[in-house]
Amino acid sequence: MKKHLVALAAVLALLVGSLPASAADKVVNLYIWSEYMPDEVLKDFTAKTGIKVKIATYDSNETLYAKVKMLGGKGYDIVVPSAEYVSRMAGEGLLADIDKGRLPNLANLDETFRNLSYDPDNAHSVPYMWGTTGIAVNTAMVPEGQVTGYADLWNPALAGKLLLPDDMRTTFGMALKVLGYSTNDTDPAHIEQAYLRAKSLYPAVKVFDSDSPKQALLNGEVAVAVLWNGEAYVTNSENDKIIYVYPKEGANRWVDNLCIPKNAANVESAHAFINYLLTPEVAAKISQEMGYATPNKAATALLPAEVRDNPIIYPPADKLEGSEFETDLGAAQRLYDQYWTKLKTGR
Amino acid sequence: MKDRSLFKTLAVTLTVGWLAVFVIVPNLLTLAAGFLTRGEPEFVLPIPTLKNYVRLLDPAFFEIFLDSVRLALCTTLLCLLVGYPFAYILARLSPARRRLGLLLVIIPFWTNSLIRTYALIAILNVNGLLNAALAGLGLISEPVEILYTNTAVFIGFTYTLLPFMILPLYASIEKLDHRLIEAARDLGAGSFQTFFRVSLPLTLPGIIAGSMLVFLPALSMFYVPDILGGAKSLLVGNFIRNQFLVARDWPFGAAASVLLTVIMGLMLYGYWVCQKRVRKAEPA
Amino acid sequence: MKRAVKSAYLGIVTLFLYLPLAVLIIYSFNDAKHVVTWKGFTTRWYAKLAENTVLLDAAVNSLLLAAASATAAAIIGTLAAIALKRYRFKGRAILSASMYVVMMSPDIVMGISLLMLFVLMGLPLGFATLFLSHVTFCLPFVTVTVLARLTGLDANLVEAAMDLGAREYEIFSRIILPLAMPGVLAGWLLSFTLSLDDVIISFFVTGPTFEILPLKIYSMVRLGVKPEVNALCAVMFCVTLAVVFVTHFCLKERK
Repeated sequence: MKKHLVALAAVLALLVGSLPASAADKVVNLYIWSEYMPDEVLKDFTAKTGIKVKIATYDSNETLYAKVKMLGGKGYDIVVPSAEYVSRMAGEGLLADIDKGRLPNLANLDETFRNLSYDPDNAHSVPYMWGTTGIAVNTAMVPEGQVTGYADLWNPALAGKLLLPDDMRTTFGMALKVLGYSTNDTDPAHIEQAYLRAKSLYPAVKVFDSDSPKQALLNGEVAVAVLWNGEAYVTNSENDKIIYVYPKEGANRWVDNLCIPKNAANVESAHAFINYLLTPEVAAKISQEMGYATPNKAATALLPAEVRDNPIIYPPADKLEGSEFETDLGAAQRLYDQYWTKLKTGR
Repeated sequence: MKDRSLFKTLAVTLTVGWLAVFVIVPNLLTLAAGFLTRGEPEFVLPIPTLKNYVRLLDPAFFEIFLDSVRLALCTTLLCLLVGYPFAYILARLSPARRRLGLLLVIIPFWTNSLIRTYALIAILNVNGLLNAALAGLGLISEPVEILYTNTAVFIGFTYTLLPFMILPLYASIEKLDHRLIEAARDLGAGSFQTFFRVSLPLTLPGIIAGSMLVFLPALSMFYVPDILGGAKSLLVGNFIRNQFLVARDWPFGAAASVLLTVIMGLMLYGYWVCQKRVRKAEPA
Repeated sequence: MKRAVKSAYLGIVTLFLYLPLAVLIIYSFNDAKHVVTWKGFTTRWYAKLAENTVLLDAAVNSLLLAAASATAAAIIGTLAAIALKRYRFKGRAILSASMYVVMMSPDIVMGISLLMLFVLMGLPLGFATLFLSHVTFCLPFVTVTVLARLTGLDANLVEAAMDLGAREYEIFSRIILPLAMPGVLAGWLLSFTLSLDDVIISFFVTGPTFEILPLKIYSMVRLGVKPEVNALCAVMFCVTLAVVFVTHFCLKERK
């Protein structure tokens, strides 16, 4: 019997040993929003540095947060939370400190994106892309001008043709704006009102999708969609009848940031990748392809005119009237969470 | 004489140990977690409470269960109605044809159900094949919106789970002793009578096995509503998934899982009772 | 007349089962980025697929995981079958009951309970947790298959060996195992397939360092219909087809 046991152990050892060795190779594990990173950028990075990029995706900040917590900050080397989640995760000690010494390209960032309120002195994050959340309207299905703001979404004519993202801040932000409040309101009474407003819209929604809202739009399943401007940009380039409208109440603005989880294994590779993304050419390429605005000043100078002047990606000042950045909700986060759960599980 | 063989000890320890650690303990954990409280930032706080189960009875949540059970039952019924005749006809074919037929059923059975669900999108789409076919036949003037509704989820479940119904049914029907049917005919029973009083009761184990193989997955396959369903499809599977991976309310999710397990247990019990009765009724 | 109706019925149901797959395969040759309208024939999606190292890595990972899980499950499952058949021991009820629990548990319940166990144990989610979970859910299927095979075993053979003074291990390795081998192999094959196909349990216990194919497909599928995904699915379907045919004809010969 001993002979067989030894043979068995050898076979198992062989099987386990043939597993791709993770420590030996140079790898960076990226956990990022779906369709938020062009394939070529990854390929170029690997070609230049020899570091492989393994990519996994999520479709909401909540999912990201839950996953990172569950893994105890291990496993992924770079995550891309939105502003308010940076402060939340940093507060819970889930993020590692950024070693600015390893990021010479950090100087390329626009001054307005350094030392933002949610992460003083960029201790834990490096802004990746910023954008707006607005409304995409298929003018072939809905007369142009019928939708000019969030309030128009409650129009019964649009029932069953609506798409909303599976995102708490967007949904509540929209309702708060319609009620005339700030998108970062922490007053419990206002939040409850927003919950009730959002609830009244829910029956009219056909799809909740944060992964790839453009699909439903392009397929004609929905006529109006609340989504991020990059998605609208790609949709518009495929079908120019689908336009992007900045809601008159004021669009939400957000910033997504590159962060390194606390117990990441490949910290050096992570920094190398972040530094690479801060290169002007790379940042410009990403902005062009994804349709989001880059916080990289040097990159903006490299953009072709039709991108720099495209109002979907780089909104002119008048479109941004009334818009606010989504910031940390602090203690009110708990209340928002509760109402969001109620909203999603209720009828 | 007590057998003190090392082999035996090893075999028993390894197997019992593995199952104890990876089956018994997790299930106990789930049961326990259902009675604990949600923590922030920890996942679970060791504070006992019945709140989670009370919440489950809240109409908002309970409706999700009812919807899911309703959908699963409809799926099972449709699979049964479509699958039984199929299995019956198949079992009566010539051996060569029978083998071919079985193969044709086994292939989708082994194909990853994720792929099969995905394959339905292009068909159920507003601009997809189903609408094109219906319009071509002149049955509709405007495209029917099927995708992103509960109907699409229903079609998705039925499509992916039909082979799971056919195979156990076939196994049961094949064992049917045709002499019994002939005897019934000889005694003057009509086709319907023969079917309902002879064939059906004798194939009941197959029916129940197939029903369980369809009903239970229909409750837990969250990727079907995820891919085909829209805003309206909040079902138990997605619900539990959300509690664990998005909402971070593990105790609540655990409580819902326990409820699901109880439903399964009840079905199993029903199956066991039916099996016993059929065994009693079988001719010696 | 009756025969025609019966054949027609079989035909329609079979069509229903295969039509979506056929459409999927046809559209994988569609020269359009966003499908649904046919724009011309092309094989470029397959070419793109062949270059997609991420998917290929995931596929290799899935195969390795399936092979390892199936092997471990075959070993433990066979031992469990033998223990149940031949020995009396204290944990007998636990063994039987656990097997039933695993076979009948909805995948999602297994997934979350294993997740909770691993988080409690502090085990990092990745290959290890996937491996342990896959072995666990494959176990009962091996045991049932081997048990079925063992019940046909001639008890006299074993008795004779015991009379001749053979030790337990010798009885196992020289008599039981060789005779039960077809059952063990069938169990291995079954486990291999179950492991490759699993989505729900893997979804909960997977980690970032070990990507498997079904989950990769799942995240791609959520982004909508894409010809690349169609090509991938078409390839996987063909692999399934091949495996079914091979096992069908192999098992036929053994009988």
